[in-house]
Amino acid sequence: MANLIDIKDLHASVNDREILKGINLTVNEGEVHAIMGPNGSGKSTLSAVLAGKENYTVTGGSVTYMGKNLLEMQPEERSWAGIFLGFQYPVEIPGVTNVNFMKTAVNQHRKHNGLPPLSAAEYLKLMREKLAVVEMDPAFSSRGVNVGFSGGEKKRNEIFQMAMLDPRLAILDETDSGLDVDALRIVANGVNKLKKSTNATIVITHYQRLLDYIVPDIVHVLYKGRIIKSAGKELAMEVEKRGYDWLINDNQ
Amino acid sequence: MVNYIYTPQSDYFKCRVPLRETLQAFVVDGTLQQEGSTGLKKGKSGKGYEISFGKDSPSGKILQIISIRSHNTDGTLEYGNSISVEENSEASLLLCSHTFTMNGFQTKEKLDINISQCGRLNLVIMQNEHDRSHHNTSINIEIGRDAICKLHLVTLHGGKIDNKINISLNGKGGECNLHGLYLAGGNQEISNCVNIYHNAGECKSNQLFKGILDGNAVTRFSGTIYVEKDAQKTEAYQANNNLLSSDNATAYTKPHLEIYADDVKCSHGATVGSLDEDELFYMRSRGISLEEAKLLQQQAFANATIEDLANPELRERLTSLIESRLRGEFSECQNCDRHCC
Repeated sequence: MANLIDIKDLHASVNDREILKGINLTVNEGEVHAIMGPNGSGKSTLSAVLAGKENYTVTGGSVTYMGKNLLEMQPEERSWAGIFLGFQYPVEIPGVTNVNFMKTAVNQHRKHNGLPPLSAAEYLKLMREKLAVVEMDPAFSSRGVNVGFSGGEKKRNEIFQMAMLDPRLAILDETDSGLDVDALRIVANGVNKLKKSTNATIVITHYQRLLDYIVPDIVHVLYKGRIIKSAGKELAMEVEKRGYDWLINDNQ
Repeated sequence: MVNYIYTPQSDYFKCRVPLRETLQAFVVDGTLQQEGSTGLKKGKSGKGYEISFGKDSPSGKILQIISIRSHNTDGTLEYGNSISVEENSEASLLLCSHTFTMNGFQTKEKLDINISQCGRLNLVIMQNEHDRSHHNTSINIEIGRDAICKLHLVTLHGGKIDNKINISLNGKGGECNLHGLYLAGGNQEISNCVNIYHNAGECKSNQLFKGILDGNAVTRFSGTIYVEKDAQKTEAYQANNNLLSSDNATAYTKPHLEIYADDVKCSHGATVGSLDEDELFYMRSRGISLEEAKLLQQQAFANATIEDLANPELRERLTSLIESRLRGEFSECQNCDRHCC
């Protein structure tokens, strides 16, 4: 199993406040990692830094993605290289339709890979196929990106976009937040359907609930900007039962 | 000698100016090229044009009047046009201004419009010249009882564009919808001064002007709504939104209300903002380059001014012209050897 991403001693701050204080994480092809942790532990900061969001300053360490220095790449270059961030709060873009948005994204990926843009018919076929992954109505494609979407629809739209872009490494930030049981099942099924031996997923979550559906190979607990424990999927069960305190106490 | 009359057989206008399925007329350097089937007549001075739409005028079909500044004249050209829509009649017009010359020039154009009782005018004005052109357009619109005027004013390109629009709602139940879009880059200056006079009661006016500015461009919007003492039950709304894509561009905006009646609904608002960082990051995280992401946002911003156009072909054409313009492709058309713009 080839290595996809190698994060070494990663430090990052926002507004001069250090949030990540030395993250070490290696993800290989075919793996599903879960990152759990209490509020404010740095989970969302980690995903934002990996996707290249501005306002986050990396103050130390390195991130190597498929042999390249990820931190030097622009957000769009990271996407072209196969990184996908599922947003905790997907952004609404009034006036830009879903179809226009995704068609532009897919064709920019194709351009980067030296492929001609998809024709309208080809795009439509691909879109319908991928909408089915998350059981979405094709009627949604003419609506503004995430505009007027319910919490569940927004998260399904994230997974739809993931299906369209076929990433090597998907980072799903709190994809389960704001979902009812049915939406959770649909979203998780979507992620499972997209699993391949050549890609990997990092699932960031508060609760063990999502991990009933998306079964991780490795569970990490993040606390105060560091991974304080990594173990198999049973760790998630233990966190569910006992909370984070015992881990924090062990760590201190 | 060049024949400026458009014939679909000739490839003279293989560029994107004429719109298919419309009636066309050409005005070259202020002179109407052909009277006749379109109903257009030369103005009394020989310059400009006059047209009247009556009950028997063909409705549903758009008349496109294409005004062109040619190589033959430089300097200042001044002329006036008039359009009248008779009682219970409807007209759809597309007025475009273009140039065949890259020389500097100034055009002073006056447009008088009268819409009689229960008349309806759908008017789209598209201004597309170049960095050295000056164009002053003065539009006066008189709207009668229960008459409706829909005006879209799209300024794609021009060195110095000065639009003055006076609209009078003179009879009960009149309505005016005014959508403006101006795209300014480089050192271009675009001004829109709009005065709406609510002289009679129970009229509605709605204005939305939007501008996208880049480079060192300067735009001015000055809008005043006057509501006369007897113009009760007036509804008048005005909004001006500007999107600055560069730190050196300047948008001036001055919304203004003068209300002398006491039973009215009026509002005005103005904004000047920049591109939304969260939206840009979201798009980039999906592999849309920064340049394309900006473009999508600008298009979304601009679209609100043309999305209500009834004719789908015209809407599509404008959408693609706006895209070309925002991509900076439109300073000179390369589709034929005329290089018009």
